Amino acid sequence: MSRTSKRFVLGASILGLATLGMSACGPSVGSDSAAETDVDYSDVEPADKITFWTNHPGGSMDIEKQIVADFKKESGIDVELVTAGANYEEVSQKFQTAQNSDEVGDMVVVSDATWFTNFANDSLLPVDKVLESAESDTSTYQETLFDDYLYEDAHYAVPYARSTPIFYYNKDHYKKAGLDDKAPATWEDVKANSEKLQEKKTAKSALSYPKEDAYPAWILGNMVWGYGGGWSSDWDMSAMTSPETVEAVQFAQDSTKDGWANVSSGVPEDDFAAGATSQVLGSTGSLAGILESADFEVGVGFLPGGPKETDKVVPTGGAGVGISAKSSPEEQLASAMFLDYLTNSENTATFSEGTGYLPVRTDADMSKVYEKTPQFEVAVDQLEKTRTQDPGRVLLPGGDTTIAKSLQKILTSDADVTEELQGAQDELQGLYDNDLPDKLKN
Amino acid sequence: MKAALTPSEVQDPPAQKAARHRRGVREWATFLAFLAPNVLLILAFIYYPLASNIYYSMLDWRLGAASADFVGLKNYLTLFTSPTGLDMWRVTLIFTISTVVISMAIGLLLALVLNRNIPGRTFARTAVFSPYVLSGVGVGMVWNFIFDPQIGLLSHVFAFFGANSPDWYLDKNLALVMVIVVYIWKNLGYCAVVYLAGLQSIPKDLLEAAAIDHAGPVRRFFTISFPLLGPTTFFLIITTILSSMQAFDILRIMTPTGHGTNTIVFELFLQGFGVYQRAGYSAAISVVLFLALFIITTVQMRFVERKVHYA
Repeated sequence: MSRTSKRFVLGASILGLATLGMSACGPSVGSDSAAETDVDYSDVEPADKITFWTNHPGGSMDIEKQIVADFKKESGIDVELVTAGANYEEVSQKFQTAQNSDEVGDMVVVSDATWFTNFANDSLLPVDKVLESAESDTSTYQETLFDDYLYEDAHYAVPYARSTPIFYYNKDHYKKAGLDDKAPATWEDVKANSEKLQEKKTAKSALSYPKEDAYPAWILGNMVWGYGGGWSSDWDMSAMTSPETVEAVQFAQDSTKDGWANVSSGVPEDDFAAGATSQVLGSTGSLAGILESADFEVGVGFLPGGPKETDKVVPTGGAGVGISAKSSPEEQLASAMFLDYLTNSENTATFSEGTGYLPVRTDADMSKVYEKTPQFEVAVDQLEKTRTQDPGRVLLPGGDTTIAKSLQKILTSDADVTEELQGAQDELQGLYDNDLPDKLKN
Repeated sequence: MKAALTPSEVQDPPAQKAARHRRGVREWATFLAFLAPNVLLILAFIYYPLASNIYYSMLDWRLGAASADFVGLKNYLTLFTSPTGLDMWRVTLIFTISTVVISMAIGLLLALVLNRNIPGRTFARTAVFSPYVLSGVGVGMVWNFIFDPQIGLLSHVFAFFGANSPDWYLDKNLALVMVIVVYIWKNLGYCAVVYLAGLQSIPKDLLEAAAIDHAGPVRRFFTISFPLLGPTTFFLIITTILSSMQAFDILRIMTPTGHGTNTIVFELFLQGFGVYQRAGYSAAISVVLFLALFIITTVQMRFVERKVHYA
C-alpha cells in the first residue's frame, strides 16, 4: 500500500469511527421528543429566579430594567435580563441553538416571523394554562395581536413590542402639489396623489417601497389584501397566484414603471425623513425617529384600502414574548407572572411611550402619549383595521424571504408578474412540503 | 576464567543496551508528550466536528430541535437539483475567479511598483497592506456609505459627470460587482505584500546579467522575474481561492439577504442560521464545500505545482 493510500485509509478510518460516535450525540433520530406540556400548576410554587432573553426592541433596555426592578419589589422574583441578540432573528437563532444545552432562557422575545419556527421545534410552551394559573387576565389583550400567536387552539406567546405599518406623508410636499392635508383612502387615491407630487417634482420619488431585506411582503400585504388577494390562505399557497393578488402586484409594478414610485436602496423611512420621498408606508415603531429627524410637518394616516377591501387591510408586526418548553414548571409559572406584569395596562403604556410600539392591552391609558405625540393616536385607532397575517408569509420558515425576493424582482424589472408569483408559490409550497407537514400537530 | 566477549557484546554490553532502551523510551515519551496535545486538539476541533457534520448532513434536522429524521442523501439531492442550489455555484464561481485573478494581477503590479526605489516607499507599502488587516464588517459598512445611490460618495462622482448612480443594491448583477470590488480592495494588500517578498528573493545578479545583455524591463520581467515568482504565484492561487470561496463578512454586511451574492458559504449561513434553520441541509452544503476545496487544493498540489519553477 502506498503512503498516500495509507494516509487516506487512516483519515477515513478516523472519520468513520467519529461518525459512528455521532449517534450518541446531537438530536435523537426518529423519536418524538416533544416537551411535556400537560402540567398541573396548581401545586407549583413559582421559581425565585428566571431569565428573560431579549433584544430590547426599540431601544427599550432601560425600560425593561425598570420593569424588572419593579417586578422584583412586588413579587420577590428575580428576573435576569439577558441581551440575546441584536435583532429578532439573532434571538431566535440563539434560542434554537441553546435547546441542546441547559442554558436556555425561561422567556424569549419572538417576532411575528420567527415564533413559528421555535414552535415547530417544540421549544415554546402553550401559554394559556400557565397564564391562567398565574391569574393573568388575557381578555384585555388586543385580540388580533394576541391571536397572532394562536395555533391549533393554543397561544404560544403574549404580545409585547407590537407594531403595524401606517401611512406617512410630507405635509409640505402635499401643500406644494395642491393636495388636501389627509392621507389617501385607497390605492387609486395614492396613485392620483403621487402623480401630482411627481408633476410638481416635490422629491426624488413620490412613494417608496422597501427593498427585499426591509420586509416588502409585510408592507405590500396591505395592497394585496385591499385587492382581495393574499400571500396564502391558511396553508394553501395558491392564493399567491389568484387573479386578485396578481392584479395588486401588477398595480405595484406599474407604479414603478410609470415612475410615481420606486424601491428604496436604503430604508424608506430614512428617505422620507430626509425629504427624498414624499410618502411611505412605514412601521409605527419608526414614528418617533421620523418626527425627530424630519424638518417638515409629518402627516400620518390609516393604510389605504383597495377596490375589494377597505376595512381589514392592516398587517400586524413586531414581537411577543414566549415561555420555554424546557423550563421547569416552577420557572414557567414565574415567567407567566412576569409576562402578565410586563404587559399589564400600566407597563404597556410606559413601553409605548418610550418606544413607539403599540399598547397591547385595550385598557391601557394612552392619554399621556397622545398629548406628547398626537400622531400616535392614528396608529392606535388603526388597530381596529388589523388582520392576522397570512401563514405563507409569516409562519412558514423562509416564506417572507421568498416573497420579498420575488417582489423586489417584480418591482425593479419587467418580470412577468404571473410567472414570478407562480415561481414564488412553487417555492413556498416546496418549503412547506419539506419543512412542516411532519412537524405540525394535526 | 571469564568467557571471552562476543564482538557484539564488546560493542553493546548489557548495561549500554539497557541505557539505550531507557533513552529510547524517554525519547518516545517526549515525542508523545509533544505530539499528544496537538493530535488531541486536531481530533477534537477538526476531525470530530467534520465527522459530526457529515452525520448531521444526512438528517432532516432543524437547528436546535431535540429530534431529527434520518434522510440519507436527500439533502445532497436537494442541493444539486434546486434552482437556488445551482445558482449559488454560478455566483461562487464568478466571485472566486474575479477576486482571485484581479487581486493577483493588481497585487503583482503594485508589488512591482513598491519594489522600486520610490519616495515614500515605506508609507506606500503600509497603505497598500492596511486594508487587509481591517475588519470585514467595518469595511462593508464604510463601503455601504460609498455605494449608497442617494447619499454615497460614488453618487456624487456620477453626478459630477452628469449621470445617476446605478442602484447597486437592487440589481443582482451590480450587487455582485459591488461586493467583488470591495473584496478586492480589502485583500489586494495581501497579494501585493506576498509578491513583494517574492520579488525581493529573486537574485539580483540574474537581473543585472540580463540588463548587461540588453534585455529591457519587460523582457526581464517575463523571462526572469515572472517564472521565478512561480512558487509565490502558486502559493497565492491556493490561499486566495480558499479565502475567496469562504468569503462571508463583506457579503453579509453589504447584502444581508444575499441578493445576487448568494455564494456557497452565504447559502450555508442562510439555510442553517438564517430564516430557514435547516441544520441538516446546511451541513450537507458545508460537506460539499469541504469536498470542493479539498479537490481544488489536491489538483493544484498534484498538477499545477509541477509547472512551478523553484529557484
